Formats: sequence, C-alpha cells, structure tokens
Amino acid sequence: MGPLPRTLELFYDVLSPYSWLGFEVLCRYQNIWNIKLQLRPSLIAGIMKDSGNKPPALLPRKAQYLSQDIKLLRQHFQIPIQFPKDFFSVILEKGSLSAMRFLTALSLEHPEMLEKVSRELWMRVWSRAAEKAGMTIEQAQGILEKISTPKVRNQLKETTEAACRYGAFGLPITVAHVDGQTHMLFGSDRMELLAYLLGEKWMGPVPPAMNARL
Amino acid sequence: MGPLPRTLELFYDVLSPYSWLGFEVLCRYQNIWNIKLQLRPSLIAGIMKDSGNKPPALLPRKAQYLSQDIKLLRQHFQIPIQFPKDFFSVILEKGSLSAMRFLTALSLEHPEMLEKVSRELWMRVWSRDEDITEPQSILALPKKFKCAAKVENHRSQTTAKRKLKPLSLSGSQAAEKAGMTIEQAQGILEKISTPKVRNQLKETTEAACRYGAFGLPITVAHVDGQTHMLFGSDRMELLAYLLGEKWMGPVPPAMNARL
Repeated sequence: MGPLPRTLELFYDVLSPYSWLGFEVLCRYQNIWNIKLQLRPSLIAGIMKDSGNKPPALLPRKAQYLSQDIKLLRQHFQIPIQFPKDFFSVILEKGSLSAMRFLTALSLEHPEMLEKVSRELWMRVWSRAAEKAGMTIEQAQGILEKISTPKVRNQLKETTEAACRYGAFGLPITVAHVDGQTHMLFGSDRMELLAYLLGEKWMGPVPPAMNARL
Repeated sequence: MGPLPRTLELFYDVLSPYSWLGFEVLCRYQNIWNIKLQLRPSLIAGIMKDSGNKPPALLPRKAQYLSQDIKLLRQHFQIPIQFPKDFFSVILEKGSLSAMRFLTALSLEHPEMLEKVSRELWMRVWSRDEDITEPQSILALPKKFKCAAKVENHRSQTTAKRKLKPLSLSGSQAAEKAGMTIEQAQGILEKISTPKVRNQLKETTEAACRYGAFGLPITVAHVDGQTHMLFGSDRMELLAYLLGEKWMGPVPPAMNARL
C-alpha cells in the first residue's frame, strides 16, 4: 500500500467565480495527485463580514479587471465561465444563502453528489443569463424549505467559521494537510504552489490525464 | 529574421514584494521567450490614491496571509525575500519616493543599469531589512557592483596615462555592462528632484493607472495588436498562454545556462 493521500479541504461558494476555477482544477487533479479532496460549502458573505473585507468588485478598477481576467481564464482553464448580465444584482443582492444551504444539506445527506451539483449551480449562475440563475435559486429555495433544519443552518455556519479560523478573508481557500503541517492557500492561482508543497507535478490548469478520465 | 519580439511593460515599485517576484520571473524568461522586457518604475502609493484602493496589509487577515504567502513563495520562486522587522513602518511611513525617483532617473540616463539596481534596492528593503530612503542608502548601491575594467572616462591612449589610473579602477572583472560607480550614483542622485525626473515618475504611474492598475505589479503585454494588462506575480502562466510560449515554472531551467 502506498503513502496515504493528503487531505485538501476546498472552502467555496458558488457565488464566487474564482471558487469555480479552483474547484475545477482540484477536481481534475484529484485522480492524478495523491490527494483526497474534501468539498466544504461556505458562505462568502459570512467570510467578508467576519474578516472586515469587502467584495473586490466594489472597487471600480477591480471590477473592470475581474471582468477581463475571467474572460482570459475562461480560455486558459477551459471552463465556460462568463459574467451574468446583471452582475451586481446576482452577487450583491440575490446572494447565495439558499444555494449554499442546499449544498450543505447535500454534504450531510448525499456527499457523493456534492461535486456534480456544485458544478451545476456554477453553470447556472456563472455560465448563463441572470434570469435563469434567479429561477434556479428560487427553485433551490423551494427544496430548501423542506430541508432547512437547524442542523443544516448550523453546519453552514460552522464550515464558514472554520474557513475564518484558517484565516480566510475571501474564497476560495484550499487548506492542504501535508507532512503534519497545514497550509492555507487563497485563490485559484496558487495551484502550482500547492503542487510544489505536495511534491506533485504541475501540468497547468488542464492536465492531460483529465481526458483519460472522461 | 524571426518574428518580432513582443513588448512586455512591467510597472513596479521596490516597496512591493510581489513586484520583486514578478520582476525576477520576467527577467528569467526574457532570454527564453521572444519578448522585449521594458521596466517601468512606478509609485504604488500613487496608484493606490488614484484607484481608491488600499494596501492589502491594512486588513489584519490579509497581512497575516501575505506573511505566509511570501514565506512559501520565497522557496518556490527561489528569491531571498523576507519581511522587514517593522513592516508597517517601511511600507506606510517610509515609503519609496526617493528610490523610485532614482530608478526613474536611471531609466532616463542609464537604462541598461535599471535591472541590476532595481534588484539591489529590493535586496536592501525586502531581503536584508535595510533602508532605501536616505541618500546614503542610494550611495551604498555602487559598492555592490564590481567596477568594470573599462570605465566611461577611459580615454587614455598612452601608457603614461594608464599609469595614472587609480588602483580601484584597474579591472579585475571586465564586464560589458559596467556596474555603477559612486560618481555615477552621485550624479543621478543630484537629478532626482528635478522636474524632469519627478514628471517622468508621475507620467509612468499615470500610464499604469490608465492601463487599469489598482496595485502593482502589472505586466502589460502587447500581443498580436492587442493589449493585455495582468495584475500580480501569479499571472505569468496565463501570460505564457497569451504569448504562445512554454511555461516552465517560476525557476525555468534555461536560467542556469545564462549565468
């Protein structure tokens, strides 16, 4: 039997575009590297509040940059990500509380579905028009009313607090447990550094072996 | 003749640790990729003011993260970067105005020295925790560079004149690109408060702002008639993708061949 897989915790929110990018890269590498990927649905709004940080999009030049950055990373990462038509409405007003409670419930009841459903929620918020995203979040809300128990609400709160204790001021964060040490890496652009820490090979955001998995 | 090199403008400030990381990566790749690297000394304080942004270190959790991130990147990038003891004083109180004016003056008078001197300023503030604001700090820079055998005032034709050359100038390491002499440093230091130099730094900083900067470093890549502004030291793999070049990590193998 080989060495034990190293645990990576990915704290993410479907409202966060860079969370989607980080998520897909780690999903691609989970069958290449010796790692165990644990998905941790969290609330970015809670992390912002707790850390005193603000969404970058509130600064005009950062909002402009974000938009360009996502356009380029779409091609480089090969993820069909695009800004919703009404970006501010989606991010700042609609939010993601219901969606993240939904994923939390899933993590408790059907964790094996967490990857696919998280991806589907990103596809709806960050790949199609805002109207469709709105409908989906309301649909999720309908489902959620049936499962919005204190247990689910508390679990989301605890996961978000865990991210804060790791030092999060935004999402995504990847917490890597390697050789008895814990490293918190922020963003979707620390994956090559993660490879370095794991002693694994970095093959870019679209590693060749991914095709073999399909 | 092959395709024309693509111009990359690197806007940086020696006060910015991530600027050092981005700088070294681009310096390593400038002889590997088909690029022309143009260094653009800028003032990060000016960019913050103009964009309405704030230094990330002002948020406690970001300051904490920065410190860890730099420790890890030090190893990964193989750059001897470390936080100064009194980080807040260095960044927020002392700043980098004279240092960046000095580099601006250098960019106008001796652009071929810009890379080496920029690196030495980073080594002072971001590796050895030394001052970069006092004139003495600037004048200490030439001691780091070996004087070339041939100095610019070497016009002696006769053996007799050669005998009069001060011993310190006799060449031990003949280099094509001379290190800076104390005389040169002094001369440039005298120029840093001139309107020409102050305006040039202001214009370069404004150019970064027009490209959309809200911090540093920014790399502006001119590729196939398009202009791309990339922020941070962590967009170099994306830059390689845009240039159609190969990314070999922050410490590419060919770098060793250059030394």
